[in-house]
Amino acid sequence: MTAARVHAADIIDEVAYVYDGTLEGLLSAVFEAYALREHPSDVAPEGILQPRLAQRIHSVVADAGRAERVRRGVVERCGERTFFRIVRAAASSDADAGSAVYRFIRYAMDVHRGKGRAISNIAHPAVSRLFELDRSVCNECEKMRQFARFEHLAGDGVQVWFAKVNPRDAVVPLVLGHFVERFSIQPFIIFDEVHDMAGVWDGERRYLVRTGGADLLGSLPQRSAAEVAMQDAWRTFYRAVAIDARYNPELRRQFMPMRFWKNITELRDGEPALRRA
Amino acid sequence: MDVAQKLEVLADAAKYDVACTSSGVDRAGKRGQLGATSNAGCCHSFTPDGRCVTLLKVLMTNMCIYDCAYCVNRASNAEVERVCFTPRELADLTIGFYRRNCIEGLFVSSGVIKSPDDTTELMLRCLRILRGEYGFRGYIHAKAVPGASPELLGELGLLADRVSVNMELPSEQSLKLLCPQKSKRDILAPMRQIADSIAEDGETRALVRKRQTVYLSGPRPKRADRAFAPAGQSTQMIVGASPESDHHILNLAASLYKSMHLKRVFFSAYLPVVRDERLPSSDAIQLDREHRLYQADWLLRFYGFEVDEIIDEAHPFLERGIDPKANWALNHLDDFPVEVNTCSYDMLLRVPGIGVRGAKLIVRARRQSTLRESELRKLGIAFNRARYFITCNGAYCGSGAEYSRDALLVRLQKPIEGGRHGRRADRAMPGQMSLFESVGQGAALPGSAAAPALAGCTA
Repeated sequence: MTAARVHAADIIDEVAYVYDGTLEGLLSAVFEAYALREHPSDVAPEGILQPRLAQRIHSVVADAGRAERVRRGVVERCGERTFFRIVRAAASSDADAGSAVYRFIRYAMDVHRGKGRAISNIAHPAVSRLFELDRSVCNECEKMRQFARFEHLAGDGVQVWFAKVNPRDAVVPLVLGHFVERFSIQPFIIFDEVHDMAGVWDGERRYLVRTGGADLLGSLPQRSAAEVAMQDAWRTFYRAVAIDARYNPELRRQFMPMRFWKNITELRDGEPALRRA
Repeated sequence: MDVAQKLEVLADAAKYDVACTSSGVDRAGKRGQLGATSNAGCCHSFTPDGRCVTLLKVLMTNMCIYDCAYCVNRASNAEVERVCFTPRELADLTIGFYRRNCIEGLFVSSGVIKSPDDTTELMLRCLRILRGEYGFRGYIHAKAVPGASPELLGELGLLADRVSVNMELPSEQSLKLLCPQKSKRDILAPMRQIADSIAEDGETRALVRKRQTVYLSGPRPKRADRAFAPAGQSTQMIVGASPESDHHILNLAASLYKSMHLKRVFFSAYLPVVRDERLPSSDAIQLDREHRLYQADWLLRFYGFEVDEIIDEAHPFLERGIDPKANWALNHLDDFPVEVNTCSYDMLLRVPGIGVRGAKLIVRARRQSTLRESELRKLGIAFNRARYFITCNGAYCGSGAEYSRDALLVRLQKPIEGGRHGRRADRAMPGQMSLFESVGQGAALPGSAAAPALAGCTA
C-alpha cells in the first residue's frame, strides 16, 4: 500500500492508436491499451490521425470478442446508460472522439467504483468532453429525426421509401430504431451520403449496409406518380403557413441549418419568395 | 377544386393559430400500424419566421357563421375564398405527409359551419378514419368548438391526444366587444368538461394499474381503450387586440394552470389582418410583448415562480428591456449572491443565466467536485449573466461590476432578437439605438477604474 497513489491515466506514453473507425475498433483499442499496459496519447480512426513529433503509431485490429469484453466491463462498472453515452460519443466525427472515449473509460475504470458515479462528475475534464460529444451527437440524431424526408419510389413491382441524409456524425445506426418504430408498415432505406452508409428496413428486419452513393442511387426505382404531387402539396403547405409580418430567417437558420437544406423537400429548390414585397 | 388548392387556402387560414406542439404523450409504435409519438415532440420544419411546423395545421373549413372582429375567416369578410375538406381528403393528406416524415400528426381546427355540432361531427369523421380505418398512432390535436354538445366533445377527447378550446381574448368585456356571438360561459364549459374527463380518466387508469388490496374495494373500473386527451389541453389568447394588461393576462394564465390543469397557455401577438373600427388601427404588432409573456409563462411552469413575484398591480406591464427573471433578481439583490456549491436547487433556478438543465447539472456535478469558475463555465450555463449573482467556492465572479440595481441592469438588459428582416426589424430600430447609448453610459458608470479617478478630481 502506497500512501500517494498515482493514477494510471496520468502517465501518458508517446504512442497513438489507430483503429478502423467503428465502435468495435475503438473498444478493441481500449482493450489493447490495458493489455499492453500503455497509455496512448491519441486514439483516432485511420486517416484522421495527425501523428505528433516522435509519436509511435500502433494499428489496432477490430476484434468483436475484445470489444465485447470492454463493453461488459464498462456496463458492470458504470451501468448501461453510461455505455450508451459512450456509443453515441464514439459516433462523433470530431477528431478527438476516440481519445475522449478512451480517457473516459480509463477514468471510470481506474477511479470509480459505484455505478453511474463516474458520469455524474461532469466537472472532470475526462467526463465533460464525453458529455459534450454525447450531446452534440444527440443533437445531430434529433436533426435526422426532424429533417429526414422520405420519398416513395416504385417500379418493376418493387416499392421502397427512400431518404437521403447528410449528417455530420455517423448517426444512422442510432436513429434507425426510431424510424423502424413509427414506419414499421413501410419498407425504407435511409442513406447517409456523407458516411456511405445505409439503414434498411425491409418490413421484417433491419440492416446496416456500407454502400457507395452511386451504386445505391443507380439501383433504385423512380419516384411514384403520387410522390410528385405530394411533394408539391407539402411545398404549398410550407409556403402557406409562413406569416410574412414575422419574417425572421436568422431564427429559422438557427433551428434548421442550411447544410441540411439540400435534402429537405420544402427547401431543396431554394426558399419560396415572400408574398409581401 | 382539387385538394392541393384547398390545402393552400385552409393552411393559410389556420396559420394564425399559435399552438403547434406534438409533446406530452409517449406512445410506442406497434408492428403493422403507422406512427408513434414521443413525449418531447419533434419539429419537422421551420417556417421563414422561425416558428416550428410539427403538425399538419389546417382548418377543416374556413366557412364560418361567426363574425369575430379580428379573424380572417369572419363571416363578413368577402375577400377569402370559402372551401371545405372532406374528412377523407384530410385523413389521406395527413397519412401522406406522415409517411414522408414531414409531420408528427394532425392539428385540426375549423370555422363553424352550420352549427358547432355539425362542425365537430365533421372533424370527428376525419379522426375516426385516421384512428379506426388507418390505425394511425401519431399525434392529433383537435380544437373543441365552443357550444358543441358534451357527447361529441367526449368522443373528440378519446380520439385526439390534445384538445384545446380557444380563450380568444383575455377578458369578458373584450369578448363581448370583438366576438359578440361567443360568451365566456361557452368557452369555459368545454374547458371544464375536458379537465374533468382527463382527471377522471387518470383516476380510472391509476386504479386499473395498481394491484394493491383496498378494504371493501368496488368492482374494478373498465379500462377505456384510449386515454382521454392524454397530452392534456391547452388554450390560446390574442394579446394586443384589447386593452388588458400583462398583469391581467398572467393572472388569468396562472389561474387556468391551477384550476383547469392546462398544459399550455399560448399567447398570440395581434396581427392586423382585417379592418374593423373596434380594433387597434395601428400597425404595431406586439411581438416583443408576446416574447416577454412567454418568458413569464416559463417562469410559472418550470421555475417555481408565483405570478405575483413576476408582476404586480403597480407595474401592470412587464419590462420591455429586460427579461422577467433577471428583473426579479434585480429587485431581490438581498437574496444574492448565492454560493453555487451549497445553495438549494430552487434557488439555483432563480439565478439569471441558469436554467432547468443547468441547475440540474450543477446539483449533479457538485456532489463530486467543487465547482469553481472554470468548471462552471464548462457546464454550459450562461455564465456571463449568472456571474453577478453567484459565488463559486466563495469567490464572487461579478468582474468589478457595482452590486446595485442600476449598474447590473445595464449589463443584463438585452434587446429581443427579432432578426434583421420583417416588421420587427423596422420597429426595433429606435429601441436599439437608445440601448447602445445606455450601454455606453453604463460601462463608464460602475467599476473600480472610474471611482479613483473621480476621487482624484475632488481631492
